[in-house]
This record gives sequence, structure tokens and C-alpha cells, in this order.
Amino acid sequence: MRAEVLSEAKPRDAERSKDRMVEIQGVSKSFHKTASNSSTEIQALANVNLSIRENEFVSIIGPSGCGKTTLLKIIDGLLSHDGGEILIKGRKVTGPGPERAVVFQTFALLPWRTVLANVEFSLELRHVPKEERAKTAREYIGRVGLAEFENHYPHELSGGMQQRAGLARALAVNPMILLMDEPFGSVDAQTRQLLQEELLNLWQREQKTVIFVTHSMDEAVYLSDRVVVMTPRPGRVAEILDVPLSRPRAAGDVRRDPRFVDLTNYIWDSLKKAMENHH
Amino acid sequence: MNIRLGTNLISILIFAILWEVAGRTLDSVLIPPLSKIGSAWLRLLASGKLLDNLMMSLGTLAAGFFLALIVGILLGVLMGRFREVEHFFDLYINGLMSAPATAFVPVLILWFGLGVESRIAVVFLFSFFVIVINTLTGVKQVDRTFVEMARSFGAREIDVFFKIILPAAMPAIMAGVRLGMGRAVKGMVTAEMLLTLTGIGALVMQYGSAFATDALFAVILTILIIAMITMKLVQLVDRRLTGWKAEIAIE
Repeated sequence: MRAEVLSEAKPRDAERSKDRMVEIQGVSKSFHKTASNSSTEIQALANVNLSIRENEFVSIIGPSGCGKTTLLKIIDGLLSHDGGEILIKGRKVTGPGPERAVVFQTFALLPWRTVLANVEFSLELRHVPKEERAKTAREYIGRVGLAEFENHYPHELSGGMQQRAGLARALAVNPMILLMDEPFGSVDAQTRQLLQEELLNLWQREQKTVIFVTHSMDEAVYLSDRVVVMTPRPGRVAEILDVPLSRPRAAGDVRRDPRFVDLTNYIWDSLKKAMENHH
Repeated sequence: MNIRLGTNLISILIFAILWEVAGRTLDSVLIPPLSKIGSAWLRLLASGKLLDNLMMSLGTLAAGFFLALIVGILLGVLMGRFREVEHFFDLYINGLMSAPATAFVPVLILWFGLGVESRIAVVFLFSFFVIVINTLTGVKQVDRTFVEMARSFGAREIDVFFKIILPAAMPAIMAGVRLGMGRAVKGMVTAEMLLTLTGIGALVMQYGSAFATDALFAVILTILIIAMITMKLVQLVDRRLTGWKAEIAIE
């Protein structure tokens, strides 16, 4: 039934959907949790709708357990969903695809590979010839500022540097969409701000659509064009907020801007309201 | 590394001197001084007796160990990847892992006779289970996020296995191989003493029952050296394969 609605809607929206990179339409997801003698169903996402434009930077924020990481995995095609549809440039998502790349919260760098070999990993899977692989990998390692560390192993690097490598690995396959799952959640505060600035610089140069999951309001507002606030489980979109700050954004100035402060406060209230309604 | 080597040498030196002194002062056939053991060792070497038997033993060791290595890693990987395979076999593996392998020697004699096949089977039995269990554990403990990451970048099943599961499990597999190697040497000597008297195990029995203690200790020292060399070899392979990781051991 849903498919019919879609095919009906398509021609009418053809004009508008041109610059729509990601469309999330009525997506739901439940997990089955089986204990020894009982099986309970946990609804993680309920009827999530969201549409993301090409080259837009969108953050998804919500209390822990609201299913934001689940949503990201569904967009990546790593997880299936129960209802609704995910469209990338109008095409249904059925699994991971070359136009999407993920930056993982835990970095997910392979400990037996050097930085160079880790960045090459994504290219290796796409059967890029060896020499071209090394060349492309070095290029992106340079862009994230790790040129001197290409022969280091992950455990020899700080958390911030490891995530730079994770970012280089994702960028190396030149995806249209970067899916970032709390990528700076496990680095210290100063490194975090530095990485945020660098990410914005890279994003401005590379022309990517970014979906950025975070639980930091400050981070969401500083980075994004729009902030999506989600409710606690089951996750729904509570509110979508435009960030009225111009770019490029200088970290210090922007954070003192009254609009920045207002918006962060507003999101805080919105999250609080969502959580109170939940109880 | 150099400090370690130095300390090892000092330890050997002190031990050797203590032994020599004890041997000379006690003047008993039970503890021959090290110098006498040394000359017995040279005598055995010159007669060719030691080398001939050693070669025979090492042949058995290599055959049994490599069989255990191949079958053990293969079964361990299958058990680690497929729950059905794991539950089909884990009962026996866990049981036989802790059972004294020596108890099965009479059965092996019945099955394989008294020839070299039986000795190979004993070596296999000694080293097989620890390799299976370590491989199984290693494969099961692979970090899920690595697999997820690979899938996200478009890895097929075969990529996931060769580029994620196998390298991630390698330290645990090699720990099993190391333990298996040690047990294989034990199996080799046990087989040669309990089955037909052959190889280096035969020399132990022969000199032991003849109270030729200097020759007996010379043979025992040879076994120790063999055990150390084989362990070193496994360690070298291990370092090549898993140099990225500090040594871990699971048993």
C-alpha cells in the first residue's frame, strides 16, 4: 500500500525531490529480545519521517536509547526496518551502498593494520587497484592531518587521531553521504572542538551530505544546518530546527552568538519536554 | 630483550655450576655431574645413536602436529562460525580436552597397531584439542563492530572471513598453536615410551632401566632443547603473523 502511495507521489514531487538526497518515510523498527522463557518486543523507532537535502549537514539528537544509532544503521543498510522506506536519491535502500560511508563511534580501526592500510581497507573492498589505492589513501590521510602517521598502528595513536583515520577511511571512497555515529563522543573536550572545526572545513570543501548523530546540543548546533530532536523510545521526530547561523562558523564567535545560545537552550527544553511526556 | 637473554644465560650458568658441585660432592649415580652428562652426550652424538632416534621422533612429531594444526584450526573455525557445528562438537571437545590423553593410548594401539600410525595419533590427540578450543574462542570473540564496519563498506562474506575474522582471531589461534606444540612434544615422548620403544623415548627407557644416568640425563636434556627450539619456532611464526598484538594466551 505504501508503495502505491509513493509511486503516486513521485511524479508530483519530481521537481522538489531532485535535491533531496535522503528521504526517510514512516520508518519503524522493533527488536525482539528473547530471555530464557519470554520474548518481548522493543520498539526502537516509530514512524520516523525526515527528508535531507543534498550537501546538507543534519544532526540527530536525542536521549540515549532513542534509536538514533539504529536509525543511522538503517540508513546505511546494515539493519533492516519493519515499516516505511528509505530512499537515497529516489532509490530504495536494501543494503550498504557505495554512495554512503560510516564514521563509527568506536573508530572501528583494525588493530592489525597501519593507518595507511586501514584507510586502504575501504578501497580494497571496492577492488581499487593497489597503486591507486595507496595514492588515494595517502591523499585523504593528508587531508585529515595524519600524513606523518600513516605507518603507525591504531593503538599508537590518540583517540582524536584514530577518529581522523576513521574519517579518512570513509572519505577515501568518495561517498555522497557521510553517516557519523557520535564520532567525537569518546575524545576529550579540546580535541572534540578541534575535530568539529576540521570536519566543517572538510565538509565545506568536499561537498557531502552529512547525517551526524550526537547527544551534545552544543555540537549539533555548531555543526548543522538543521537539528532533528528525537523522543525517547520509541524514537520519533519531536522537532526539526533550522540553525540560523551563517557559515563559515568560527568556533569561538559562534558559541557566543545569542542565537546559538538561544537555540541550544531551546533544544534543551525540547529534549526535557520530550522526556517528561514519556514518563 | 638483551637483558632477558643475559638473565637467562646467568640462570643457566648458576644452575649448571650448582649441579656440577652437587654431582661431585654427592658422588652418586643418581645425580651425575654435568661434565659427565656432557661427555655422555658427545659419545651418543658421535655414535649416531642420538641423531638417528631424534630424526625418527621428529618425524612423528611433525606428522602428528601438522595434522592437529590443520584439522584443529579448520574445526575450530567452523565451530566458531556456525552455532550448529559448535553445539554438535563442543560436548566431545570439552570432555576430551580435560581428559588425560594417556588413557586413550591403549585404544589407539587397538585401532592403529604398534606402528608409526599409533605414535602419530598420540601426538595428534595430545595437541589437537587445545588448538580447536583456542581457535573457536578466538573466532567467537571477534569484535562485532569490525564485522559491521566491513559490511558497511561493502564486504562480502568471504571478505569478512579473510580480512576480519581470521586476522582478528590470529592471536588466539597462535596461542593455541603454541600450547599445542608443547603438548605435541609430550605426546611424542609418551608414545615412544608407552607404545613400541622407538626414537628418543626408547633411549630414555633404555638408559633409565640400565641406570646409565649420565646418558639418561643427556637424552632428557636433548628433549628439553627440542621442546625449547620448537616453541621458539612457533613464536617466530607468531610474531610474523600477530606482531601487532601483545602476546595473549587462553587455555
